[in-house]
This record gives sequence, C-alpha cells and structure tokens, in this order.
Amino acid sequence: MRILWKTVVYLLLIVGSVLMSLPFAWMLSTALKPIEQTMSMPPNWLPYRYYAEIDGKREAVVPVEKIISTAYVADDGTVLRRRIDAGGASVRVVRASENAPLFKVALERDRSKWAVLAASDVSRRVEPRWENFANAVKEMRYFPRYLWNTLLLCVLTVVGSVVSSSLAAYGFSRIEWKGRDKLFAVVLATMMVPFPVVMVPLYCLFRWLGMIGTLQPLWVGSFFAQAFNVFLLRQFFMGIPKDLSDAARIDGCGEFTIFLKVILPAAKPALVVVALLQFLFTWNDFLGPLIYLTDQSDYTLALGLQFFQSQNGGTEWHYLMAASILVIAPIMLLFVIAQRSFIQGISMTGMKG
Amino acid sequence: MRSIGAIIRSAPRLARSAAVIAAAAAFLSLPGGCGDAGGKGTAPDGRVVISYWEKWTGFEKDAMQAIVDDYNTSQSRVRVELLPVSDISQKVMLASAGGNPPDVAGLYSDDVFPYARRGALIPLDSLGALERVSKKDYLPVYWRQCEHFGMLWALPSTPTSIALHWNKKLFREAGLDPDRPPRTIAELDEMCDRLTVVELWRNGEMARVRYSELSEDERRKKDFRIVRLGFSPLEPGWWSPYWGLWFGGRIWDPETKTLTPDSKGDIEAFEWIRSFPERYGVDNIRSFDSSFGNFASPRNPFLSGKVAMELQGVWMHNFIEKYAPNMEWGAAPFPTKDGKGTVTVAESDVLAIPRGAKHPRDALDFILYVNRRKTMEKLCLLQRKFTPLRAVSPDFYARHPNPYIKMFRSLAESPGAYGTPPIPILNEYADGLEAAAERVFFMIDTPRDALEGVRKRFEKRLRQYYKRWAMVKDRRLEEWRRTR
Amino acid sequence: MTGMERRRLVLGLLFVSPCLIGLAVFTLYPLAASFYYSFCDYDILSEPLWVGTANYAEMLGDDLFWKSLYNTCFFAALFVPLSLVLSLLVAMLLNQAVKFRFLFRALFYLPALVPIVAGAMIWLWIYNGEYGLLNYALSRIGIRAPQWLADPAWTKPALVFMALWGVGNTIIIYLAALQDVPVQLYESAEIDGAGFWAKFRHVTIPMISPVIYFNLIMGIIGAMQIFTRPYIMMERGGPDNSALFYTIYIFQNAFRYSRMGYASAMAWTLFVAIVFLTWLGSKSASGKIHYEGR
Repeated sequence: MRILWKTVVYLLLIVGSVLMSLPFAWMLSTALKPIEQTMSMPPNWLPYRYYAEIDGKREAVVPVEKIISTAYVADDGTVLRRRIDAGGASVRVVRASENAPLFKVALERDRSKWAVLAASDVSRRVEPRWENFANAVKEMRYFPRYLWNTLLLCVLTVVGSVVSSSLAAYGFSRIEWKGRDKLFAVVLATMMVPFPVVMVPLYCLFRWLGMIGTLQPLWVGSFFAQAFNVFLLRQFFMGIPKDLSDAARIDGCGEFTIFLKVILPAAKPALVVVALLQFLFTWNDFLGPLIYLTDQSDYTLALGLQFFQSQNGGTEWHYLMAASILVIAPIMLLFVIAQRSFIQGISMTGMKG
Repeated sequence: MRSIGAIIRSAPRLARSAAVIAAAAAFLSLPGGCGDAGGKGTAPDGRVVISYWEKWTGFEKDAMQAIVDDYNTSQSRVRVELLPVSDISQKVMLASAGGNPPDVAGLYSDDVFPYARRGALIPLDSLGALERVSKKDYLPVYWRQCEHFGMLWALPSTPTSIALHWNKKLFREAGLDPDRPPRTIAELDEMCDRLTVVELWRNGEMARVRYSELSEDERRKKDFRIVRLGFSPLEPGWWSPYWGLWFGGRIWDPETKTLTPDSKGDIEAFEWIRSFPERYGVDNIRSFDSSFGNFASPRNPFLSGKVAMELQGVWMHNFIEKYAPNMEWGAAPFPTKDGKGTVTVAESDVLAIPRGAKHPRDALDFILYVNRRKTMEKLCLLQRKFTPLRAVSPDFYARHPNPYIKMFRSLAESPGAYGTPPIPILNEYADGLEAAAERVFFMIDTPRDALEGVRKRFEKRLRQYYKRWAMVKDRRLEEWRRTR
Repeated sequence: MTGMERRRLVLGLLFVSPCLIGLAVFTLYPLAASFYYSFCDYDILSEPLWVGTANYAEMLGDDLFWKSLYNTCFFAALFVPLSLVLSLLVAMLLNQAVKFRFLFRALFYLPALVPIVAGAMIWLWIYNGEYGLLNYALSRIGIRAPQWLADPAWTKPALVFMALWGVGNTIIIYLAALQDVPVQLYESAEIDGAGFWAKFRHVTIPMISPVIYFNLIMGIIGAMQIFTRPYIMMERGGPDNSALFYTIYIFQNAFRYSRMGYASAMAWTLFVAIVFLTWLGSKSASGKIHYEGR
C-alpha cells in the first residue's frame, strides 16, 4: 500500500515538474537555433545545420521550402533550371519521381543564391548556435548598462526595504504605545490599494520632484517601509520571546540597541525572505520602469527585453530567448543557493494570519 | 547557505556596511540616472548640445545621422545628438509631461494635431520659422497636417504615400498579365480569387487548387486550407480606419466637425472587408494568418509569396530589396471602387519642438536646415522616399533606386491624397475603427452595426471635448502665441 | 499619560516614522489626489478641469469599461480557485518524504522567477496557432486545437493556464504552512482511526486555514490587477478586446489617450471593488479560520 502511494506521488511530481520545465527547455532550444529554425513546422527541439554539395564544394545551406508547386517541375518531370546570378552556385537538374521530395535551399553565406536539390542530397548535423548569446547582447546594445541599472536598483531596494521595514516592524510589535494597533490596521489596509489608483498622482509627484527620467522613482519608495514587508516582519517579531527584550532592558539597553543586537540577529530568516522577495520584485519589475524611465540607456533588464519584441513589427525569437536566459540565470542561481533559508524563513514568519 | 547565515548573524556589522553600500549606490545612480534628455548643457568643445529623439533604426537612422553629421560640421555653435527611441509618440509625451523632453522630436504627422491642441509643442512660427519657409514650398497634403489653429507646429521630414504592390510571378502563374494591376475593386476581387490557392481533399487525395477553380459546393463548405491568399484587407491592416476613402467615404466631416464613420462609402468598404471571410472562411483565414512571419524578415507574407497583393507604402521597396531581392514586383495606385481618380493616404514623419525644450531656437535652426532642398533631397534619397517639397531637382529621380518613385510622388500630389484628419480624439477613434474592422473581418458584427456603434460611442466623446475646448480655447491660444 | 507611556509613544512613532511618512506621501496623498482627478478632466499637460461626476457617468455608459470588468472578473473567477487548489496539491506532494525533494521544489518554483517579459514571450510562442508547441502536441494526438491567442473565446483560458505555470510563490507558502502542522495531531488522528481523507479534512485544512485565507485574499487582489502579461502579448486588448483587462484599459486611457481623469475614476472603482471583495472574503471566512494560540 505504501509502495503504491509512494509511486503515485513520484509519478505526479515527475510529470508536474516536467510540464513546469518544458517552457524552459523550449526557451533554451530556441536560444540555440538560427532564426529560420525557430519557426519550423513541425517544431524541432534540436538546432541543426544543413550541408549539401554544390559545385563540388560542401556548403552550409538553409532550407527554404519543399517544392510541390507545379511552377518548379515541368511536365516531363524535370526541374526548371537555375535562376542564379553569374558566379553563384549552380543547380543540378534532378529528375523528379513520386518518392523524391525536392527542396529549395539557399546558401547560408549568401541568401540570394539558391539551388533545388533532392532531400537525399542534404545532410544535417546538430549544431547549437552558441553565438546567439553574444549576438543578442550585442544587438541589445545597452545590455551591460541595463544589467548595471538593474543590479543597482536591486541593491538599493533590498537595503531600503530591509532597513525601513525592520525598523517599522519593531515599532509595531516590540514597543507598547497608544494607538499602535489601530495605526497598524491602517497600514495593512493600504495593501488593498491597487497600483493604478496611485499611478497617475505618483507620476505627477515625481515630476514635481524632478525625478522623472531618472532611476529615483524606482527605489526611493523602498526606503519608506512598504506595508507587505512590515506585515511579514511584524509577524515574525511577535514570535520572538518577550523575555529576551525584557532581559536586555533590565541590563539598561535602549530600544534601538535591543533592536540591533537582540531582535535583528534572531530574525535573520525573515530578513532573508524580505530581501529575496524584494530582489525578485525589482529584478522583474516591468510597469514601474515602463512609466518612469524616459531615456533608453536608463532601462532595466526587464524592460530592455522588450527591445527584441517589436522592431518594425518583427521579433527575433532566438536573440530574445538567449537574452532572457541571461536574465533568468542569476536568479535561478540565487534561488538554488538560498532555497532552504527562504522556505524556512517563510514558515517562521508564521503567516498564520 | 551556512555562509549566508554567517553573514546575517553579524547583523550590526551588516547594517553598517549596508548603509555604506546604499549611500554609494544612491550616489552612483545620480549622474547616470539624471538622464537629462533635454539640453545636456554644453559639450567640452563649448558647443550647445541639443538632443534629437527619432524613431528610426537601421538604414533610415543612418540616413538621418548623415544629415546630422553634415549639420554639425557646417557650423560650430551647436551640436545635435541623435538618439533612436522606440514607441516615440508615447515617450515624447511622457517626457514632456515629466518636464524632461528632447529639443527636437521626430514624431509622426498624426501626432501633430493631438500634441498641438494639448499645448505639448512650441509653435514654430512663434520662433520665426515663417520668415524662412512658407506654405507654397510644400505639397499641400503635408503642410495641412502641420498647420492647425493658424499656427505652424512642425515641419515634414520624410513623406510617404501608399499604393498597391503586387507579385508579378504569382500573376503570371495565375494566367494574369503581370504588368496589368487591377483598376477597380471588382477587378481586384476577381484577380484575388484567381490568385488564392487552397489545399483540399479531392477524390481521396490532397490537391492544390486555385480558388477560382473550386466548385460551388466546395466553396460553400470551405473545407480547405489556404496556402496562398490573393489579398487581405487586414494584411497589413495599418490603414483599416481609412478603407472608406477608396469607396468615396470619409470618416470625418471637416465642415461640420462631426464623425461620419458610417457614411455610405465606409459601410461599403466594410462590406467589402467582410466579403473576404465570406468567401474564404473565417477559421481558414485565422490559421493562415498565424503562419505569417515578422514584417521585417524574409517570412513577411508578401515577400515570401503567401500574399500576392498588398496595400503598402513607399518604403516597401527597401524591404523587398533586403529580404527578397529576386522578387518581381510592381506598384500602382490602389484601385478605387469605380476606377476613376486615385486615392492614397499621405502621411509623413515630422520634426517638432516639444514644450519645455531647453534650446528651442537652436532646435528650429536644425529643423530648417533639414528642410533645405538639397538636404531634404539627400535625406529622402538615402531613405528611398520622395520629398515633400514642391520643387524637385532634375536629377533626383534619375538617381533614385525605387523604380516606382514617381508614381508615389504623383499620388501625393493628386487631389485624392488624404492626410490624417485633425480629429481631437483620433487615437481612440482610430483604435475603435480598427477594432470594428476586426470584428467585421471575423464576422462578429455586421458592417453597419459596427460602424454605427463606433459613431455613437465617439460622438459623445467628441461633443464633450468641444464643450471643454470652448472653455479654455482663448486662454490656450493666447498662451501659444506668446513667443517662448 | 504617564512619563513612561509618553516615552514609549515617542519611541514607537520614531521607529515607524519612515513607514508613516511613506504612507502619507506615497499612498495617502496619491489616493486623495486621484480621487480629486477622478472628478476632473486632466490630460497631465494642462491644469485639471473640474467636471463633477461626468467621468463616472461616462464610465457606466462605456461598453469597453464593462467589457474590461467582465474580462477581469472572468479571469479572477477562473484563476484564483484553480491556483489555490493546484498549489495546495503540489505543496502536499512536495511535503512528502521523497528523494530529490530539493530538485522538485526548485523546478516547481522556478517559473515564478522568470521575468514577466521573457515568460510572456515564451508562452506567446508556445501558443502560436501554426508553429506553437502546444498545438503541435495536440495535433499529434488528433485534437484540432483553437488558435488560442487569436481566438476571442480562448484568450482568457490561455492566460489562466499561463498564470498557473507561475504559482511557485503560493506553493512555497503552503509548503511552509504544511511543515508547521504538528505531527502529533496526525498521529493522534491515526490512533482514532482516521483515514487519509479524514486527516485532510479535520487536521490539515483547519491548521492551514489562515494561510488559505491569506492566499485567497492576495490571489483576488492580484488577479484583479492583471496587467503585464496581456499587455506584452496583446497590447491593444487582443482579438475583439477579449483580453482587454481592467488595468490595461486604465493604462490605455491614462497614457495613450491622455485621459488621466477618466483613468483615475476607473482606478478608484477598482479600489472600492477590491475593498468590498476583501470584506466579503473575511466575513465569510470569519467562522472558519483556526488561529493557534491567539
């Protein structure tokens, strides 16, 4: 019975995680392909490079289309001769039979020259295009700049939120003062305020402060203790035994010292959680940079990825995926390292309401 | 993990170093973050630096860069810095609102009126532009889009017009004369049926057949897959609000200043739009659509031969050269309903000065430099377009690589050249019309219902707008007339 | 107030001062300002012009407003329950003592780390009607799939499915909660003869009920504000505006049509709706949440 149960669990986990990772695998696969293979039908997992012998030389070719239209095949079955400029590759005349699919291929080094070949004349090899990563970074032009901006913002917001939220959480949990809980209820209520409500006046406020067009609107707010982080930390602080603080007080310590030397060290898992969540949020934030940043060189990675999306109505899928993987990689690494403390931290903040 | 724990365990020390890091970071973020788009002040060589945001990339940007370089070397007082910006209409608006605009903005002609009426631009005539250029120097359709409320708000940079493009090889294969494009809408429809190729099961095997060769029954059942489409009014679908123009309709009545999306011509146009899914099947078209590649690639539906005819602009020649250099193609005025006269939508890129720009007079000097005949011709030649100026040098056309450039130019000169109408709520209205065209194309609404719905919805908005405009009009006009 | 109390009041306020200042400047002021703007005609470049309730009246008569509201509620109604159930299920699986737990957890959480733009683009690709992975897989087992993002009837379900892919955060929260349930409770239940289902109903659910409640509220608040994915994938609202969600319509009005007043009116309506739904949620849950040691 136990074995059956265990098998079911394993099965579900495996199926589930495979489904979850499929999009990633697809991302990686697309990032390693040349552009013409990204939209192939039927979809391929592996990136190929095709070769054929043309004019005695082995050339890399790009399949253009399968020929079934009557325009290419004359009535007696011969293929119409080449239409290639002088000095280019010539085409072989192939006798078309029912069983020989014909392909039109173009030379990879010069797409204007093409040939018509039988499928059996074209060979292929798996060749991942690692150069896509470097090219994507080059295409995006400002990639290092975006990385720098994003890291800067992440550091600033993490420091800002950890510092200010822990201070506020301390004040709302470890000191007894009049009106404390009522005020906290108000703070909590602001979590319900959707961003669009404050979006426009915030924009005007930052404009009045002269901050539009700089990175400032994206990090200044984190230094003022946002409700969610305060809530998280307060929950945790409330779980720390009162005796610890009382003992310190008896020893003559001021509140701030207690905060620094007693509470903070005891709260490290929760602080890790706040830091990680904030890092994640800032790393992936899209709407904020969209509105507040005007100069393209100020963009963050999240916004910069859009660069690949619409240039003259085109999307360079392989570069986009390559760049996306570069954006995701550090986060994945961070999570894998910090996984255990992250989960531990969340459970200790006891989100039991 | 333990290392992370150890780090955090020394919290007070961490707090101190965190404070230092934060201060350093905040300091570092200032110069880079100050992204002062407007007037970076003075360059080390003492020149005034003015910023110019432009929408172009690739060779179009290179063309303008050449002009900018020429300007910078032609004088030593000012240096223009060209910055490519995507989504430019929105970015300039936001930057203006944020108090941080560029000195010169490369907008679209259909941005001019909305920006002007909101006071987002500095009128060029208040800076003295009319002492150097005048209305008669330009083709009327382009000047009209820059002059509103009796003031000049922008000057054209590169003009465009749109026409029918067709694939000569596909015409030949279909048994049509490759050098004779359709002249009326009815001819277009008929040719389209011949050019459209579908795949279906016939007598137990897969066959490819022209639509015109299908039997009544096969047409009714629509149980086929489209392999090539002769034409689609929504490919590329960039001018769907304006289809009525080719049917004698107008979406705006300038005399009464009312919206007329349901004029007779417009309804006819939308009924024509609907005739495509009626013939070829909504689902068939939808799945055919998703096989289209990106515009700027060899998989562009027109360039890859999936679509035989398209309504496109003078820039199409450049994309054909780049992505399908062996294509045999032709361009001619897009057919009108009865074949009489020519119609086109003539828009242009413009240069304007956003309100709040730090160096408006220098900005104007640059804009006027671009508008000199020689500079303009150089720019337009490099971008492979025609010029918006009335006077043209004799060798301009001789040097021009686009074989149909004269046709595009004569379309812009003709009385049937329409620019964007100066409708205050144009963005929403156009969005609404595009949505209506889609609904009609996917057979969700009838043409009459869709267009009447658009009219009702936006009529109210327009009336509201005029009411409020009446309240502030005098104040605003006075503001604008004052020299900046 | 005694001297002691006053001292504590000052200290307390000092500690929470950054929070309060932030509250006033970044939340309360904008809240009040946008309330004012909602009664004005405001295009951000010129002064706001008072128009009374005209914006609200127009909103009620605007069929795109109702459409966006419907789209958003449809999405929330579909997504929130599914995500709660699914993440609980996965969390329970991950809570079992299996080998490679570490790896499984990482795999389930990773999608939540993907930057939204990248994620949206991958899914745009997967959902492509002609070349996408999904339709190809379905066609191999003989299903003729719809065009997903090009078909008005399927855009919202497609988005729900996409959003479910990224529920890692909810899974982790449930996981933490499950790990906190004291083992003795399960043991004593087993002694009383409880089977799997009974244990689930009478031990697990009550013990993690506060977390379920928390996830429900946050889920609703989040779902009502869906913006980035549909904005990137179908900027103008998708086919026949079937993916025109409330926040996207607000964004369009504010930044594309420059109608800040109207956008503010819509935003305030959203706020009121969220407050109402939260109140509704807490009212219906008040009897059922089990708080330990409170």
